[in-house]
Amino acid sequence: MVVEDLHKIYDNKVHAVRGISFIVRKGEIFGLIGPNGAGKSSTLRMIVGLIRPTRGRIKVMGIDVVRHPVEIKKYIGYLPEEADVYDRLTGLEHLRFYAMLRGLVGSELEKTIEYGIKLSGLEQSALKRRASEYSKGMKRRLLLASVLMTRPRLAILDEPTSGLDVYASVNVRKMIKEYVGETGASIILSSHNMLEVEYLCDRVAFIAHGRIVVEADPDRIKQMYNAVNLEEAFVKAVKEADRM
Amino acid sequence: MKPGKIMAEMKVLLWKELTDLKRDKKTLFTSILLPLLMLPLMGFIGFALAQEQIINVAVVDLDHATAHNRLLNITFSSGWLLGNITYYLAKYGYNYTVSNSTSIIKNPSIDLMIVIPRGFAENATSLTHVARIEIYRKAGLQTTGRVEGLIYSIVNWFSDQLSKEKIMALARLAGVNATIEALRNPIIYTTTIVSISGSPVNTAFQIRVTISRFLVLALSFVVTPAASYVIDGIIGERERKTMELLLSHPVKPSTIINAKVIAATILGLITAIADAFGLLIYISLSAITYGSQAPFLVDPWLLLVHSITAFFTILVTVAISLPFITRTKGIRSASNIMSIVTMMAVVFFFTALFVDYMRLPTYILAPLYVIPYVHSILAIQTYVIGYSFQAFLHILFLAITSTAILYLTTKTLNTEKLLMSK
Repeated sequence: MVVEDLHKIYDNKVHAVRGISFIVRKGEIFGLIGPNGAGKSSTLRMIVGLIRPTRGRIKVMGIDVVRHPVEIKKYIGYLPEEADVYDRLTGLEHLRFYAMLRGLVGSELEKTIEYGIKLSGLEQSALKRRASEYSKGMKRRLLLASVLMTRPRLAILDEPTSGLDVYASVNVRKMIKEYVGETGASIILSSHNMLEVEYLCDRVAFIAHGRIVVEADPDRIKQMYNAVNLEEAFVKAVKEADRM
Repeated sequence: MKPGKIMAEMKVLLWKELTDLKRDKKTLFTSILLPLLMLPLMGFIGFALAQEQIINVAVVDLDHATAHNRLLNITFSSGWLLGNITYYLAKYGYNYTVSNSTSIIKNPSIDLMIVIPRGFAENATSLTHVARIEIYRKAGLQTTGRVEGLIYSIVNWFSDQLSKEKIMALARLAGVNATIEALRNPIIYTTTIVSISGSPVNTAFQIRVTISRFLVLALSFVVTPAASYVIDGIIGERERKTMELLLSHPVKPSTIINAKVIAATILGLITAIADAFGLLIYISLSAITYGSQAPFLVDPWLLLVHSITAFFTILVTVAISLPFITRTKGIRSASNIMSIVTMMAVVFFFTALFVDYMRLPTYILAPLYVIPYVHSILAIQTYVIGYSFQAFLHILFLAITSTAILYLTTKTLNTEKLLMSK
């Protein structure tokens, strides 16, 4: 996936993204990290084709996202930060609905749902219950499973462990690692949890004020900022960006 | 995109919408059960409460006389009238008091007073004077009108009998052969109600026309739930944080919106059918109460035309509101916009109770043609009097208008507008 000189200006006023460029390789987990309002969500939404860039180019598997916003979604799975479930559908119905929306039918559909059940780690009895009865962790796992079950070539996960307890977060991280190992898919991960980023990501880009301030593998970034962990490096990088 | 693929996607989205709707008991209750029960309930409650009203009537006979006209050989007594009035008041469940003084009207518990004045019997048997009954009604009490109606019937019957006797007596004295009606009403008129082809129509036809006016009014009740559903489907989905994930799937936003519109229209259609059945129940209950044949005169074709008209009326309402709804941030502002559109519909449907739209002059009707709700009214009003083709054209107009607006609205939609409307 290639992003080149990406800009987003809302209502001719707010310049949310100011010339972001990066590449995500096959089988790579790429972390897009930044403080609130840095332009992460806008960038992710532009990659998925949900919002149109003001300027710049995005190509996923050689397909121009701006020109083919519907076609590109066949290859991308996206978990928004604030995604929620349909209260009146069961867990199983969620998996079926999202799989069918990708045009799956027959045995392929059933296999995908089976994989979704496995990914979610939810019990059969839980899957038959309405999603409104689920805990926050169960909802997040269900949604993540619905995104990954169709084996998208590029999965974009915005705060996948947001609001989850330690055990649920560990399970989700394990699920992501296993998924990449199994499918060879690429992942763009956005998270405020630096431990998670360090554990999962092959490469990381820090973003502030709509620009990428540094992009490298986690160890290299720690070296660059002479930091003991990624969190310290992030704080230093953002402060540096604030001064500029 | 291939039509088959769009249809498959639409099927999946509709499955989700209808499963959600099926499990939303509150929406179903308000959209189906309320229209079904509302009209019969209104009729039942209105009838039951009206029966329970207490009306206190005072009857004052100031005459206390019996008069005899020797020439005509007619006798009349104020007591006879008093007896009849009190008999019927008791029969219809009204409380009454017989008094000798008109000052009883000052009693706050008395709602209506009937006074038989002095000289009443004398005047009633006279050839030169008119006898008069005086009624005093307390202001602001609607129910006293029913008592007045009853008194009117009793007085009218006595007046009729006295008139006959006087005429026959005079004819006998004059030695002429006379017919009572020829002397009392020498000129009368008759009315025959005919269809558009000129053939006489029966009572059934007239009841059908009356029902059709209520069916037009009933359209008011079906647009609001459908409109609310589509607002909840679009803005509610955004607020419940399910929209972004849905839009990230390989489906056009127009397909998502169209599925929601169709689901809303299905809900509206179910409401319309429930509404029509509610009207049928109301008519049947009225018929049982008043002993008429009305329930057997309901035309199933009229109900079908009503349902089709309701379907397209809902569709056009949603289509008109959609450009605003999709560009509005919150449910409250979207509901405000929608209420302007539905209010406009209600105003037109209400006027159809007493306005024959097809009889409006061209300079008024022609500009009104741009308002889709006028076509909803005309579809039913023209069908019921026999202009089936005109009704079809009005429904066709609704179908084309709603489809065109929907097409244009969804064409200009994009995911950014749906996600980030202001």
